[in-house]
Amino acid sequence: MEALTAEVAVNTLKELGSMVLYIILGTVILEILVYLVLGKIFKSKYTLPYMLMIAAIFGITMLVIYPIGYEVRLAFTNMGLRHFRTYTLSWAQGLKNFGLIFSEPVLKQIRFFPLLFRTILWTAVNVVFHLAGGLGLAILLNRQMRGRGIYRTLLVFPWAVPQIIAVLAWKGEFHYEYGFVNVILKSIGMQPIQWMVSPFWNFAAACITNIWLGIPFMMVIILGGLQSIPLEFYDAAEIDGASRWQQFRNITLPLLKPVLTPAVVLGIIWTFNNFNVPYMINANELETTDILVTALFRAAFEYHRYGFSAAFAMVIFIALFIIASVYIRMTHGLKGAYE
Amino acid sequence: MKKFLTVLLVLAMLMGMVCIASAKVNLILWTKEGEELLQWNKSLLEEFMKANPDITIELVKKTSVEILREDFLTASLAGAAPDILWTVSDHAGPFVVADIIEPVDNLFDLNMYVDSAMDAVKLEGKYWGIPISNGNQLMLLYNKKLIAEAPKDTDELFAVGKKLTTGGNYALVWNQTEPFWLVPWLGGFKGKVFAEDGVTPTLNTPEMVATLKFLHDMKFDAKIIPPECDYDGADTLFKEGKATMIINGDWSISGYVSALGDDLGVARIPKVSATGEWPKPYTSGTYFMLVKDISGDKLKAAQDFIAFVSSKEKQLEMVRVLNQLPAVKEALDDPLITENPILKGSADQMVVGTPMPTVLEMRCNWDSMKPEMLAVLADIKSPEDAAKLMQSSAESCIKSLE
Repeated sequence: MEALTAEVAVNTLKELGSMVLYIILGTVILEILVYLVLGKIFKSKYTLPYMLMIAAIFGITMLVIYPIGYEVRLAFTNMGLRHFRTYTLSWAQGLKNFGLIFSEPVLKQIRFFPLLFRTILWTAVNVVFHLAGGLGLAILLNRQMRGRGIYRTLLVFPWAVPQIIAVLAWKGEFHYEYGFVNVILKSIGMQPIQWMVSPFWNFAAACITNIWLGIPFMMVIILGGLQSIPLEFYDAAEIDGASRWQQFRNITLPLLKPVLTPAVVLGIIWTFNNFNVPYMINANELETTDILVTALFRAAFEYHRYGFSAAFAMVIFIALFIIASVYIRMTHGLKGAYE
Repeated sequence: MKKFLTVLLVLAMLMGMVCIASAKVNLILWTKEGEELLQWNKSLLEEFMKANPDITIELVKKTSVEILREDFLTASLAGAAPDILWTVSDHAGPFVVADIIEPVDNLFDLNMYVDSAMDAVKLEGKYWGIPISNGNQLMLLYNKKLIAEAPKDTDELFAVGKKLTTGGNYALVWNQTEPFWLVPWLGGFKGKVFAEDGVTPTLNTPEMVATLKFLHDMKFDAKIIPPECDYDGADTLFKEGKATMIINGDWSISGYVSALGDDLGVARIPKVSATGEWPKPYTSGTYFMLVKDISGDKLKAAQDFIAFVSSKEKQLEMVRVLNQLPAVKEALDDPLITENPILKGSADQMVVGTPMPTVLEMRCNWDSMKPEMLAVLADIKSPEDAAKLMQSSAESCIKSLE
């Protein structure tokens, strides 16, 4: 990394300064345009609100709406390295791109459906462990005990570390010779595992890392939910002779549902779309550890199949939309939000 | 605090105005080089800009060769590409196909550069880069404290290796995760990754099977290499004296000279006893490439800078600082090279090397070889099955590039 010398500081300020200048200049032009068009020509009474919103509208259009539109357009082109500047746009090409996703390998050998199945497996394994681990720890923490604050801080720690740093650290720990996992295995007389080379163990390593990273989020959400359940319910249940399990099943779980459903939906979406963990842990680019989003990245940026990848991204979006919708419908989890 | 931030912002804006209003020729140069080479990059820029105050060259370091390739494609698409690249020859393939770099045929005197270095960037009948260094080949580097002379063939390597591999010390290390290290052995078994047409993969061949078997034997029968070893692992083991020999490229020599001093020896990778052939590492080098449609003052400034780096003086400076072979003919005959045993060893290895293919299809070959080679080295696939999958994988990948 470059040291912070006076020259570096001046260059940085120059770059920052010109960028700020352009932003201010652009905003001023936009405001004047809105003022002239709405205020002077159309004499609209909403001139001021539009002037206040125009910068945000412009930002969202450029950063969200335009890229999505560009992506959809790209899905109907043959853009790739061989057609980088001179690509063609047509319905037939779009249909071909969508067809290729299901009829040919999306990378070298792996096809779409095995990849989808692996992504669902990855999501299910991770979310189940996130939920079980988070629920268990939240229940343990939701009672009076000495040093509760310290435990809570320690348990939230993985969430506080930037994900990429945590994943890189875990990658080091799965090193065959020097990683602590194999060092421990060897010290208890077991054979070390080839985490980076074996398809099964590499996938397992990615799952272990992501489970470690995801539990704190669930724990914090569930702990918030647990603390909002009135203690009177448990007192009444105890008077009626309910066991601990019955209390958990009939009071805790139903009352946690409004909190759990959005957390699980978010968990599914994040895990399904998790890029950092399966990509970084898979140092040797094994196709057997790829999930949909990492395969999409490789198709787009390693094989430069831009048109195909745009169509692939749309298919992933639809798959995720269906999974999340089915889950919400089955659990009626967002009922409370609408009623 | 608020006041301070306001003052800083105003200052930044004023400087921005100065920057926008500036009439200098500004070039942006992307480099893929690591720390040691980056220092040389910087010193070159400083010296050039001092001598040419009207030219400013901004150096942007990309964290890896792959990132440079991906970012350059994206930036070209967005119309924000840098003016010059300092990169490897195999980028010429994808960049030429994508039509985002400029041919250099009429921009420089190409006769002053080593022919083999120029041939490495010749595609579609034109040249697409100006070589900076020549070589990039893998070679055998050894610690003279642990072994007096490098083994001449693989039989000797296995025999000596068994004696040297004891208690956490290994006879030989290399980056077992990249097929770039498999290719020399494949050449030693008389194999090639492409057919004569240069684009049809030939990975499922008896030569590839023999190469994979050889690597498997080295790990599981002779046990002279570590069970798992990536680039950094190999590098550390050799620098710490826990590995007697390493197979690594010319870019690593200066680091090993710092670590081992006069104890560093350089030799050819041992001859394959089964065939009597020398292993054939890929040769290429680092190159300047110019962005498509560069013209006017920017082109003139880029030509001046490239001519500056190609001068005999700077080429010999590279030899002194980095121990890399120059790409300019005039510098090759200098006693600095002919009388240096390390560079002599490096040049000797280059003689039996083979130019690295730069065609787009090579990407598919690399990516198809990697997982199967790893599977053989993990003892979870037979060499025969691995070779079959390499071929089908590469064919399917090449089909998808159309």
